Amino acid sequence: MGYKEIAGSPLLYILVAVGLLYIIGFAALFLKKSFNRCVELGMEKAAVINVIKSSVVYSIVPSIAIVIGFFSLTTVLGIPWPWWRLSVIGSVSYELMAADMAAKGMGYVTTAEMLAANDPKVFGAMMIIMSLGMLGGFFVLIPFGKKITSGLMKARSNTNSTWGIVMNNAFMLTLAAVFIPFMLLGDPVQMATFLTSVLIALGISFLAKKLKAAWLSNFIMAITLILGMASSIVWTSILK
Amino acid sequence: MSKNSNKSFNDWAHSFGRIGTVIALAYMIIMPVIVCTVFDCFPTDFASVLKGSIGIFALFVPVGIAEAISYTPILGSSCYLTFITGNIMNLKLPCVMNAQKIAKVEANTPEGDAISLVAVAASSILTIIVISLGLVFLVPLRPVLENPTVKLASGYMLPSMFGALFLGILTKGSSKTEIENKLFSIVVPFILVCIGIFAGVLSAGMEGISLLFMIPVTILCARVLWKKGIVRVVDNSPEAQAAKAAAKAAEKAE
Repeated sequence: MGYKEIAGSPLLYILVAVGLLYIIGFAALFLKKSFNRCVELGMEKAAVINVIKSSVVYSIVPSIAIVIGFFSLTTVLGIPWPWWRLSVIGSVSYELMAADMAAKGMGYVTTAEMLAANDPKVFGAMMIIMSLGMLGGFFVLIPFGKKITSGLMKARSNTNSTWGIVMNNAFMLTLAAVFIPFMLLGDPVQMATFLTSVLIALGISFLAKKLKAAWLSNFIMAITLILGMASSIVWTSILK
Repeated sequence: MSKNSNKSFNDWAHSFGRIGTVIALAYMIIMPVIVCTVFDCFPTDFASVLKGSIGIFALFVPVGIAEAISYTPILGSSCYLTFITGNIMNLKLPCVMNAQKIAKVEANTPEGDAISLVAVAASSILTIIVISLGLVFLVPLRPVLENPTVKLASGYMLPSMFGALFLGILTKGSSKTEIENKLFSIVVPFILVCIGIFAGVLSAGMEGISLLFMIPVTILCARVLWKKGIVRVVDNSPEAQAAKAAAKAAEKAE
């Protein structure tokens, strides 16, 4: 069997489907338990359902973007492997880079040349490299995840000092301090799209308050994302 | 809510998260081993494999570690599911922040932790379903989604979403407490990142590493400003707001 036959083999489809069923089960149990926990903590069921609705609606567009990446990966890696990789920790850019580096490491100049050679060992090597390369974060998460989150929760709940509240907020603020310069000083379309997205978010939140439409507030993120992406098409035609 | 019940849920979430993650990682590694064994395609030229993988490891292992340190404090116990299903910055983190905003709760509180888990779990399931639908409808969907306009717009997903995301972080929220003058804490890290970009030290793709270095800077700035009383926590409850409005009205009347 060659590279392409293994990349589309029924065995790989079955292994991926089993793995995804496991991840869905893992997430579903988390969802059930955390839903009950929210209710136990005094949140209204309707409020928690609103959060689920908003999260699901928001997630549709980024998920479609992942599907676009999935389509581009299938030409190099077959169908089941990108299905798995993009449903778990992988990302399109990482998988493409890994495929390219693996191909070059094994003596092929391009991935096209590698595909033409149809060498099954290359597919084996790529699966192994891709699976191992993204594990860095787990060396921190598994041993220290609980310590980090429990420590911050403890600091946050300290009623004798407000420092815990300020410190917890510092993590989110840093996201803005780091990502905003990257947005503003990058390519002009990116900057214009970002600024448009800020204006759209402001507009929707003003509208939600003015019309007293609380439901609209739940979908600010999803609406801003779609309109912001649409604006990038306009900005590209103007600025590029 | 008793401290014990919070501890027991917290303990459960971390134990279940850790065990579930270890099983998922083991499966991720075993899968290529099974395929290579069945099809006899184990790479035999280890020097070539090493040559192919060394760049990947050098690039992605530090990024992964930096992301775990930087994002876990925001994600809480949803960190396990988030890291297993990936797409942190474009999907899971916005979902968490959005959920906390809608539910009017804060990160690293029992309520904030539970609602984050709800959001991440719902988002993860949806993403797996959408990708699987993409596979089922691969033939009819391909020309639509690979249309140059759709592809172009999907390339600008992050800046499109950051408007709403950062507006939520930077403006006054609707949770029980509010931090006054919090933006002063990020003046120094903001300038440092700008300098890094201008100097060519930082470029796109280095956001995770930059976060790792800037978090201590922000915390240090916040600590100094909090000690000086410039950054302070105020009560943002409806009662406190009403009392504040009444005091203002009384002041005006005088």
